[in-house]
Amino acid sequence: MALTFLRGIQLNPSMLYPSSYFARKHGVLYCCMRSAQTQTATQEKEQTKLKVSTQSQPKAVDKFLKDFEAVIGIETHVQLSTLTKAFCSCPYNYGSPPNTSVCPVCMGLPGALPVLNSKVIESAVRVGLALNCKLSLNSKFDRKQYFYPDLPKGYQISQFDIPIASGGYLDVDLPLEYGGGHRKFGITRVHMEEDAGKLLHTDGGSYSQVDLNRAGVPLLEIVSEPDMTTGIEAAEYAAELQRLVRYLGVGNGNMQEGSLRCDVNISVRPIGQLEFGTKVEIKNLNSFSSMSRAIDYEISRQVELHNQGQIDQIVQETRLWEEGAQKTVTMRKKEGLADYRYFPEPDLPGVSLTEEYVNSIRESLPELPEDKRRRYEKMGLSMQDVLFLANDINIADFFDTTTAGGADIKLAANWIMGDIAAYMKNEKVNINEIKLTPQELGELIASIKDETISGKIGKEILFELIAKGGTVKGLIKEKDLVQIVDTVEIEKMVDKVIADSPKQLEQYRGGKTKLQGYFAGQVMKESKGKANPKLLNKILLEKLNAKS
Amino acid sequence: MGSISALHYLKPTRTANGTSLFNFSKNRISQLPVAFRSYTVKSSALEPPDVPRLAETARISLNPQEIEEFAPKIRQVIDWFGQLQAVDLQSIEPAIRADTEGDNLRGDVPEKFDNREELISAVPSFEDPYIKVPKVLNKE
Repeated sequence: MALTFLRGIQLNPSMLYPSSYFARKHGVLYCCMRSAQTQTATQEKEQTKLKVSTQSQPKAVDKFLKDFEAVIGIETHVQLSTLTKAFCSCPYNYGSPPNTSVCPVCMGLPGALPVLNSKVIESAVRVGLALNCKLSLNSKFDRKQYFYPDLPKGYQISQFDIPIASGGYLDVDLPLEYGGGHRKFGITRVHMEEDAGKLLHTDGGSYSQVDLNRAGVPLLEIVSEPDMTTGIEAAEYAAELQRLVRYLGVGNGNMQEGSLRCDVNISVRPIGQLEFGTKVEIKNLNSFSSMSRAIDYEISRQVELHNQGQIDQIVQETRLWEEGAQKTVTMRKKEGLADYRYFPEPDLPGVSLTEEYVNSIRESLPELPEDKRRRYEKMGLSMQDVLFLANDINIADFFDTTTAGGADIKLAANWIMGDIAAYMKNEKVNINEIKLTPQELGELIASIKDETISGKIGKEILFELIAKGGTVKGLIKEKDLVQIVDTVEIEKMVDKVIADSPKQLEQYRGGKTKLQGYFAGQVMKESKGKANPKLLNKILLEKLNAKS
Repeated sequence: MGSISALHYLKPTRTANGTSLFNFSKNRISQLPVAFRSYTVKSSALEPPDVPRLAETARISLNPQEIEEFAPKIRQVIDWFGQLQAVDLQSIEPAIRADTEGDNLRGDVPEKFDNREELISAVPSFEDPYIKVPKVLNKE
């Protein structure tokens, strides 16, 4: 892993644009953001080290950017993991053969009428509440008209002037590699709408291909306030939204599959200026790291244009992030605001929520990521532990069940973040796929704590439990692993080893005290690893130093 | 053409001072709490329809003769809205939707449409398994 990081740092600059201070900055971001999603305890340590070694470099960028500030807002589309589409009963499964999950409603055939899936409202209310929004007890759907081949009806059913939820906020903890810190980002609105189909462009062909399986799949569009100022803040906002929808169980939040899509609006202005600069939209961001890098690239690009007196070159447009070239390129220029000719969707009734309904959903909400992090913090865990454990709902559940059984909190965190995380990473499995149960992890921790087994043997058992399952008690018994804490028994073994190694003994007593390690190893071997190390060393020292 | 409701051809007509007649201007609306939305009655003297532009937004090609034919028809519809605009609503609480009867929701239970073949056979250009369309790269 460390090697990969280093390679990232070394290769990146050459792929980037000429100014070397940009390149370095993005190299740093690149190596750090990669791990935002797949952290392991060891990885984090490496990052911290790397951070230190590269810390001096961003200064050039800071100096370059210091007279400017960026204003960033994010529009996120969250695909809901309902079994059926928003307005028809077609099942939706990602990866189904093209055009197999279609019906007259989602293909936009004349006369077909939409009927709203109740689960869509439930999901919207859950997300709205979790984002601390005010809910509209009465809202409605509207038609947004535009012509594009992935939209069979010629309009998208969406919500326009009255979104189901608005005026909320999201709490975010920034990664420690960037100095950590807590942020609160405003949420402008959350509304329900339908997805369009998928459009594939054939290479060099004269036509495009459409798959309508995704047409009509429910989405929540979440619009943030323009509260973010850096790529890291934006990426962490998106990561927190992903966590939130996963905690809530409303969506899988998978960016690669397009279940979580972020469009970023970004402008730059001289510090002190009240009005916003011209905003540019960036699309095609399919990971948090590309988001962060795209934003920082775009900030640099816009600041450079400011500094060169070419502000007029910053135009309102949509730019695409090109992963290969590590830069943004113009996709289309906006010529005035698109006229979507919104009007209330006549085929659907209004959406009304009762206070009772909203309250019942409020009560059914799980502990949210922010609450979990604050609780873990109060339990005495370090911020690094807190962020790791709360990052993945499954890992958090595993940890919670382990500690609920009475296991030591810090030890449980260490095992999960250390050996268990390393195993999962190597074997590419998630915590629900390993055979170890939280109960047995608790049992293992307790067995080490009460000295039934040594920590070393505990580690051996752990890998067996992870890979094959079974119980700690069963394995200890089966393998006869109970730690030897009987002084007499240990003395016997020490005596034997000393008697068997007269040469080493002589050297030791001649001043080569480093040989204590050799003796300790021999005794441990003799005990088949079961001797209590503390007792062993105590007795060994006494005996070695006894007579001269 | 005739089967499509004339409503579709309406664009939010601008009044003399530049505000939108139907209050659909995104920025303004999103900043106003629902209860305070302005429902002021506007004059019934509305601008004549810009038929060529309406046709363009609906992606319909009309020849000059058709444009001439449609103009008075659309004008009639707009005038009808003008009549609606004249109704005094000062004391009426705005309604979001005309209906108030129930939500008519559906459970999240999958059901496959069982006549896919016919659906697909109605697609003008289908090359299994995709629908074939002219090459498109950019919206608008």
